[in-house]
Amino acid sequence: MEVGFIGLGLMGRPMALNLIKAGHTVHVWSRRRESMQPLLDAGANDAASAAEVARRAAITISIVADAPDVEQVTLGADGVADGASAGHIHIDMSTIAPAAAQSIAARLAERGVSMIDAPVSGGEVGAIAATLTIMAGGDAAAFERALPLFQAMGKSVTRIGDSGAGQVAKACNQILTGVGVAAVAEALNFANKSGVDAARVREALLGGFAYSRVLENHGQRMLDRNFKPGFKAWMHQKDMRIVMEEAHRLGLALPSSAATAQMFNAMVGSGLGEDDSVAMLKLLEGMSGGSGK
Amino acid sequence: MKVGFIGLGVMGEPMARHLRAAGHDLAVWARRPESAAALAAEGVPVCATPAELAARCDAVITIVTASADVDALAFGEQGLAAGFAPGAVHVDMSTIAPAMARSLAERYAARGIGFVDAPVSGGGQGAREAALAIMAGADEAVLARVRPLLEAVGKRIVHIGPPGAGQVAKACNQMIMVSAIQACAEALSLANAHGVDAAAVRSALMGGSAASRVLEVMGAKMIGRDFAAGVEARLHHKDFALLMDEAARLGAPLPVAAQVWQQLNALMRAGWGRDDTASLLRLLESSDR
Repeated sequence: MEVGFIGLGLMGRPMALNLIKAGHTVHVWSRRRESMQPLLDAGANDAASAAEVARRAAITISIVADAPDVEQVTLGADGVADGASAGHIHIDMSTIAPAAAQSIAARLAERGVSMIDAPVSGGEVGAIAATLTIMAGGDAAAFERALPLFQAMGKSVTRIGDSGAGQVAKACNQILTGVGVAAVAEALNFANKSGVDAARVREALLGGFAYSRVLENHGQRMLDRNFKPGFKAWMHQKDMRIVMEEAHRLGLALPSSAATAQMFNAMVGSGLGEDDSVAMLKLLEGMSGGSGK
Repeated sequence: MKVGFIGLGVMGEPMARHLRAAGHDLAVWARRPESAAALAAEGVPVCATPAELAARCDAVITIVTASADVDALAFGEQGLAAGFAPGAVHVDMSTIAPAMARSLAERYAARGIGFVDAPVSGGGQGAREAALAIMAGADEAVLARVRPLLEAVGKRIVHIGPPGAGQVAKACNQMIMVSAIQACAEALSLANAHGVDAAAVRSALMGGSAASRVLEVMGAKMIGRDFAAGVEARLHHKDFALLMDEAARLGAPLPVAAQVWQQLNALMRAGWGRDDTASLLRLLESSDR
């Protein structure tokens, strides 16, 4: 399949490479030219703009930082809509607010483009291994057409519902992982400060009802004091901000998410924003007299 | 001074009257003509557009709901900026985002027009009694030009700092006040849960370290089960979205305010947005069941 790819960052680059590996013809464009080189070396075709990508491929994919970036590459000058022909499908895999996704999809629909919001979970590791969890919202027929592409990048691919539904699922994912990281950091810090071996606590808990992927993976990285991203704390802060803004709009109380969002604020404010989310542990240690027992 | 006024609501109308009573030459503009009818009947000129109002005034005061409203009044079509002569001043007394206040001040400065963000605290009662607390963000010289106007509507006028600083102070004010309303609701709810007379508790506490304006005023409303707005809860809810968004942008953790925000969200969902924020008590009662 001919496919366009826009946004070759930490996640986008391995995802685009997996499309090439699966035999698809990939056309790439990125604002930063140098980020395209690894893809070109792997056989991707160089395009001069998002519009040109859309002229060459009937399905385009974007994965960028925030809603204004999605808007820019799809609806902006020389964006996807400028190059798209009838029946074009655009898949946005960025994490943005559900309301923003719906708004962009509606404006693209006016220009004949069907947009699917398809944010992912699984991090850089999942992107490299093509084992991402993909949560999609949009037209069912468009989703079916794009399915082979999703399957080249992810393992668990689910159409959640109509436009915006993928982003709602992603927001739920970020609530669970954000609150989960905070809970694991609190538990391990609690064990340590109680004079108990936190590694053995984690080991024991993995066999019981407190088992979670976050305890397994993030917990191990906390014990190893490996704070290298992974998923940067400032990005999780951004995602929690989306969650809290939606909660405000809907009139929903999310007390645990609210507390966690404040901890991410504190991480960013205290210079831990470029570390992985697991540096939440360092923040708690800073509030409890350091990393010692 | 020749002064214009926009935003003749519960707060704005008494403020406009105080300006006139202090001897200033008042004119107004209103989006809905009926809200200017009472003043018009008393001989106050009503202009056709904000630009026309700005053209006849040394200063225009606005007090409206949201950042976007102030932006549209100032720089929208037939906005204030189109009418102001150089040297004129826009005093915005709404509660809006500090970033919007800074942006307005910059755009005005490029045209030689002054801007003051001067949000207020004190509610409808403070407005009626010309006893508002005013938190001003502006250049010193600009503020000096409009100080007589502020003195006509407020009792305590503090120059906090440059443009935007008044809105920062207002955000701090909202955070402390609404968090205190929540604390007050929780305390009275605890007294009720024990079957102890909440009115007696409040009365005792007013003599001690927990005494506060909120316990006095909002505590009395809660005990009297008077949930009619003073300030509508939806406005506090709006203010919290603003201040929490700024906190996220700055990387500042506000753990208590974040919880209070969630209570306000639940209050909105319960349908009490147009009631008083004292309704936070009702929310605790409804989660008992």
